[in-house]
Amino acid sequence: MRILLVEDDRLLGDGLKAGLTQAGYAVDWLRDGETAVAALSTEAFAAVVLDLGLPKRDGLSVLQWLRGRHDATPVLILTARDQLEDKVRGLDLGADDYVLKPFDLDEIAARLRALVRRAHGRPEPVLTLGEIELNPAARTVTRAGEAVELTPREFDLLHLLLQNAERVLTRRALEEQLYTWNDAVDSNALEVHIHHLRRKLGGELIRTVRGVGYMASATPSA
Amino acid sequence: MSTTTAYSLRRRLVWLLTSTVAAIWLLSVLVVYQRAHHEADELLDNQLTQVGETLLAIVAGGEVEHFVKELHEHARRYPVPIAFEIWHAEDGRTQRLVTSPGHAGFETTMAAGFSENPHQGERWRFYAVQDDDAEYRVVVGQAHAARERLAREIGLSLLLPAMLALPLMALAVWWVVSRALRPVDAVAQQVGALDAQALAPLDEAVPLPSEIVPLRTALNALIRRVAEAFDNERRFTADAAHELRTPLAALKVQAQVAMRAQADDSRQHALVQVIAGVDRMTHLVEQLLTLARVDPARQDIAPQSLDPAALIAEVCNEMRPQAQRQGQSLNVDAALGCTIAVAPAWLQIALRNLVDNALRYAGEGARIEVRLVPTASGCALSVADDGPGVVSELRTRLTARFVRGETEGEGCGLGLSIVARIAALSHARLKLDDGLPRADGGCGFAATLHFSHAPGRA
Repeated sequence: MRILLVEDDRLLGDGLKAGLTQAGYAVDWLRDGETAVAALSTEAFAAVVLDLGLPKRDGLSVLQWLRGRHDATPVLILTARDQLEDKVRGLDLGADDYVLKPFDLDEIAARLRALVRRAHGRPEPVLTLGEIELNPAARTVTRAGEAVELTPREFDLLHLLLQNAERVLTRRALEEQLYTWNDAVDSNALEVHIHHLRRKLGGELIRTVRGVGYMASATPSA
Repeated sequence: MSTTTAYSLRRRLVWLLTSTVAAIWLLSVLVVYQRAHHEADELLDNQLTQVGETLLAIVAGGEVEHFVKELHEHARRYPVPIAFEIWHAEDGRTQRLVTSPGHAGFETTMAAGFSENPHQGERWRFYAVQDDDAEYRVVVGQAHAARERLAREIGLSLLLPAMLALPLMALAVWWVVSRALRPVDAVAQQVGALDAQALAPLDEAVPLPSEIVPLRTALNALIRRVAEAFDNERRFTADAAHELRTPLAALKVQAQVAMRAQADDSRQHALVQVIAGVDRMTHLVEQLLTLARVDPARQDIAPQSLDPAALIAEVCNEMRPQAQRQGQSLNVDAALGCTIAVAPAWLQIALRNLVDNALRYAGEGARIEVRLVPTASGCALSVADDGPGVVSELRTRLTARFVRGETEGEGCGLGLSIVARIAALSHARLKLDDGLPRADGGCGFAATLHFSHAPGRA
């Protein structure tokens, strides 16, 4: 799942990027408000982790801009200011959650999962399709109750497909959500991951929609 | 409003006004009493003269017998406050012819005109007169007490209403003073209603007497200063929270990343970051402590007359290795013979911060020049670099705490705050300008401290 991290502090940004990558996210890290606005206006992210005190453009202003264009991407705000009015203002401007520095890496990861889940309108933490169950928090997948071993990239791909079950996802949308700018993407990497998923989970789960992309579906193709 | 040492302005005014009026009243009563006494004397002396002359005319006219009879008749009905005696001289013998009813003769023989003599144990005033051939001699007298009684009555008739009026006047004064002091009460209430959390100046549109307006103006100036200081402190706390929590968050996250890292190189990277974080926190804490130490209340660090050239060279030598590690050149050009009044400890901290800023923010390979030049009013110590510079709009804010220029350099934003505070303590002026020219035509950053001559050397 691709996350945009906007944090001007080099040390904290570096740590968060590493930590969230460990937790299975694809993290793009920007250090000021203006480039964050530029990135958000052209690309899709599953969620934004936004620091408030940013150079060039303040975090709250980025948030306001984002909500101003009816972009519902979940936003988690990081702040060191514990004044209530700051918090209220952040939430009023459309922040989905709020974390006070210093925080726990696990807490950030958990809150991000909850935000993404809510954004997809699913209150329950576990994704189910047919006999497949995916637990984003534990990063585990079972097929008919049996645990299935997946690589992080395979897991993320399955996660995306299950989040958008019964809908066709284009190749480009999938790649955008899976890879950061720094990842060198092999032109047929996606096909390789799909192939592995089909081998591990059964051939019917993921359908190829020719010329468009892929779709996860509980009903086998006609 | 009232403490043990406070006194009531109202009570004081009422007391002062009432007692002053009472004193003036008393004084005027005394003067009137004196005047009355004098007037009574004159009046009664005239009366004595008239009575004496009349009596003499009567007895000289041979009406003595009839007169005496009439007199006794009259005296029964109207007691006369004047006593007299009539003497007759015949054949060289003088005898008392008549005395007024109820009076034995006077004890003394009196010369003509006015005299004062005792009679019946009291002091009396007498008037003696005789006819031209000295046959009859009339002496009239009156007790002095009568005069005093008259004067006293006049005095009392003035004093009594005053005594009665005094409490009334005190009440009136109390009322007037209370009314006049009402604006003071109003201001006191306004001040009392001030909220310590949200200090707002008193409403200057409310009309006040011109005597109280300066008090309100001064109060409002104070309130604004206090509110500003309060705001500054609040902002400082919020900023400090940010500046302290962010590196702590970074430390914690990096430590967690190191704990979870599967690969050795990513663990190594995270641990290096942890150490960098601790170094940064150390620098921040040092700077915060320095800022707290640069305090006008410090008595032990006093300005002294100083030629700073040696100190400048020493600080720059200390910092040159760091410059060399970063590929930067640090040049010093300090003129000798500049004498300024500054505490050496402060100058050292200020210069170290300026050079440290240049090393941090000017970037790798930058040229840094430290110069000390004499000026008309003293001398100027400048640290200039050919780094990216700071846009002029931002320069004015750089001396605020935790404000950094928009650069790649890592710092905590306190250096120029410290330098500005030292400048204020040393009566120096801190100017932030364009620095050395860059190859691309732009300019770096320069900070200059303008010191005045040490007193006595100008």
